[in-house]
Amino acid sequence: MTNSSDEVTSEVVVSVQPDYPRRGIVRQAITAVLSFLLVAVPGTLGGLFFLDPILRRKKSGGNSDSGAVQARKDSEGYIRLDVTRDAIPADGTPVSVTVFDDIDDAWNRFSNVPVGSIWLRRGTDGVVSAFNSICPHLGCSVNFRRAENDFFCPCHTSAFGLDGEKTNQIPPRGMDSLDVSLRTAGETDSNGSEIWVRFCNFRRATAEKIEIQ
Amino acid sequence: MKMLIDWMDDRVGIRGMLHEALYERVPGGARWRYVWGSTLVFTFLLQVITGFMLWSAYSPSTRTAWESVYFIQHEMFLGSIIRGLHHYAAQAMVVLMAIHLVQVVIDGAYKAPREVNFWLGIVLMMIVLGLSLTGYLLPWDQKGYYATQVTTNIMSVTPIVGAEVQTLAQGGNEYGHLTLTRFFAMHAGLLPASLVAFLALHIMVFRRHGLTVHDEKHAPDTTFWPDQVLKDAVACLAVLTAVLALAVLRPAELSAPADPAVKFDAARPEWYFLFLFRFLRFQAVEALGLTFGAIIVPGVIMGIIAVMPITARLLGNFGHFLNRAFIWLMAAGVVALTVLAAWEDANDSDHQAALAESHRDAKRAIELASGPDRIPVDGAVSLLRRDPFTQGPRLFAQHCSSCHRWNGHDGRGSLIRDAVADGAIGEAPYTLPVAADLGNFGSRDWMNGIVTDYSEHFRWIQNAGWYQDAVQRSADGEEVEFLNPAGSEMADWTSGMTESLLAEENSGNLKALIEFLASEAGHAQQEFDPALVELGRQLAIDGNWAGDLEGTSCAGCHDTIGEPFPETPDDSNASGYPTMAGYGSAAWLKDFIRHPDADRHYGSRNRMPAYGSDQLTDADLDLLVRWMTGDYSPTEVADYPNQLARLNAGLAGGTTTEAPAAAAAEE
Repeated sequence: MTNSSDEVTSEVVVSVQPDYPRRGIVRQAITAVLSFLLVAVPGTLGGLFFLDPILRRKKSGGNSDSGAVQARKDSEGYIRLDVTRDAIPADGTPVSVTVFDDIDDAWNRFSNVPVGSIWLRRGTDGVVSAFNSICPHLGCSVNFRRAENDFFCPCHTSAFGLDGEKTNQIPPRGMDSLDVSLRTAGETDSNGSEIWVRFCNFRRATAEKIEIQ
Repeated sequence: MKMLIDWMDDRVGIRGMLHEALYERVPGGARWRYVWGSTLVFTFLLQVITGFMLWSAYSPSTRTAWESVYFIQHEMFLGSIIRGLHHYAAQAMVVLMAIHLVQVVIDGAYKAPREVNFWLGIVLMMIVLGLSLTGYLLPWDQKGYYATQVTTNIMSVTPIVGAEVQTLAQGGNEYGHLTLTRFFAMHAGLLPASLVAFLALHIMVFRRHGLTVHDEKHAPDTTFWPDQVLKDAVACLAVLTAVLALAVLRPAELSAPADPAVKFDAARPEWYFLFLFRFLRFQAVEALGLTFGAIIVPGVIMGIIAVMPITARLLGNFGHFLNRAFIWLMAAGVVALTVLAAWEDANDSDHQAALAESHRDAKRAIELASGPDRIPVDGAVSLLRRDPFTQGPRLFAQHCSSCHRWNGHDGRGSLIRDAVADGAIGEAPYTLPVAADLGNFGSRDWMNGIVTDYSEHFRWIQNAGWYQDAVQRSADGEEVEFLNPAGSEMADWTSGMTESLLAEENSGNLKALIEFLASEAGHAQQEFDPALVELGRQLAIDGNWAGDLEGTSCAGCHDTIGEPFPETPDDSNASGYPTMAGYGSAAWLKDFIRHPDADRHYGSRNRMPAYGSDQLTDADLDLLVRWMTGDYSPTEVADYPNQLARLNAGLAGGTTTEAPAAAAAEE
């Protein structure tokens, strides 16, 4: 088995014998540089293109939300929900609500589509809190368990209290609360019944709550 | 022929090549234990062939990926077989790779001078795992979507570059079209190309060092062709038979189209990653941070495997012993965790319910996609969003199931249980329903229940707190208005008239009345006998019964019976009795859910909360009502099984909970 390798080496040795003049070194250097460029230029361009998700600056379109969304979204990104404060159970039982918005996905704009679901809850003090239902651990969906009266993710068993605080060691942080604004006819009013929520997603798996832009 | 071969040989050296490829020496004879590498090469070839074919029909984007995979699987000629082969061969590859690795380690085939080839093998293993990871997402179904979310989120905890790695893999900050195009480019382009390159190196270096032979005297020496090739071929054929059988008998699953707004409770990784999944469920592991459990531990394990040649070199035979011990330990750990995860899931009723829902959604999505309207441009996901059969149960579970039940369950197939009491063992008892079971709402059964045994029909109401309170208050002499299945005019009518109603003399009449009432509800997908309906109508309005019932008509109290439910209902004609106009129909039901307390319905006797549009949007109400009245495209998907018998048995005392006192006494 080792003989075969000997044969290979001897062949190679034979081919690199000739006695070239000195200008051969320059020629070799130029050839090496040119060959390198031939690989490096397309390779670099391709590599940079692949980094587009990090490097891209251009952003087409704008915030021209579709009519359906425009009518219930303000300049700060708060979206009015169909559900009102009075419609949330007074006993603190959370309700699940689907949030609709326009989303841009690469070359498409999808108008007025479900973008996520949130848990809404009215505390005994009347304060409405909202949580993104995506588990901050690894991105599965958090559910309300009626029997245990808590929030629970069926993937890796992350558990949270109804206040969103984590109750076991699995998730890195509590559930992601969302900014809620109570309003009356669109005007901020702490006793208002309209619920406006600034919906966003957050990075998973971090102890810190970092919004995904 | 010989001339042709000579001609080729002169030009490309075909004889030498063939000789080198086929007549490699096999010391100690051909053996079954050498087949694993060949089965892997074969499986990869199978993946290339089926993969190219799938590629020719697959379209990566969030509105076409599921759709094209559906089309491959359910419409194209042999599509199910090709996809099934690809699906199962991918799993076979992981299994064969694990066997190959374990064998290389126990046979010491990783030791000098084969270290580099061992490392090439590890690179190949990473590429294969990369292929299985990227492939899992491509169908863009709920299963792949949520499982891959977990993986890309794990990437993000890689120290320093995690966030960027995740963004690059996803093609942006969130999943979208570009996630698919990039995953697809990886899956069908970069990774297979790298695999071919590394496989060529792997085989080249393997040929350089030859087989690792332990027992040269096992049998006389032979050559690769034909002795070992025969054994390899038989092994490959066995693999092919297995994956083909699986593809035919258990077609690859395609779950419902991915929807980020729909919670998916049945999320699990592909089975060969279950051990990692289970590992991350240990609180002790998570307490050390996700990076520790998901990155560092697997990284260290891979590291230990990668340095095995060095371990063996430094420590000699003891090193080899350590390596073997480690690989067996790992294998045992992987098997144990996989079994544990599967066992836990099998015994987790919540997970089983989530799985049942996932299968129901999947079948329904496929049914709708192959329906007369096909898939709209906004994707199959919109089919399910607009489908009463899919959304109804969820809406019922969310809005209705805290009081009502649907055939005993919460609408989504789960029995509702009380909270587990402190110190109790086992599952908590079933929660008592406090309002009617609506599983047969509007059907002949339902109507029959109301007419012949009103008290029994609405018996669940008596469990409600408000009911017991009202009974108490009226016993104390207070004037309380409430619905009372045990003692109301309707209850008295049915109990007073039961004998005559059920007597021979009225049997035909009763049947006609039921037919009429059910036809008034007019649920979809049902046929009614017009003659019976007409007879029933006369009975209801004119009361031409036989015997004691003669002259008693429904219309005597429910004066609007037989009329269609008004388009703009109001209480101007309320008689004090619930309106029977279009009773049980979609129009009646919508109005009742919005205004159960209106005088035309239960008025002041009502205790059901009114569901305004701020609680239940018009669109959701429409979906809920259409589901309850059977108004959706016909389905062959099996619905959730009826759980009434289980509920009744459970409530009758067959609870699985031991009293806290008894549990305490045992300790």
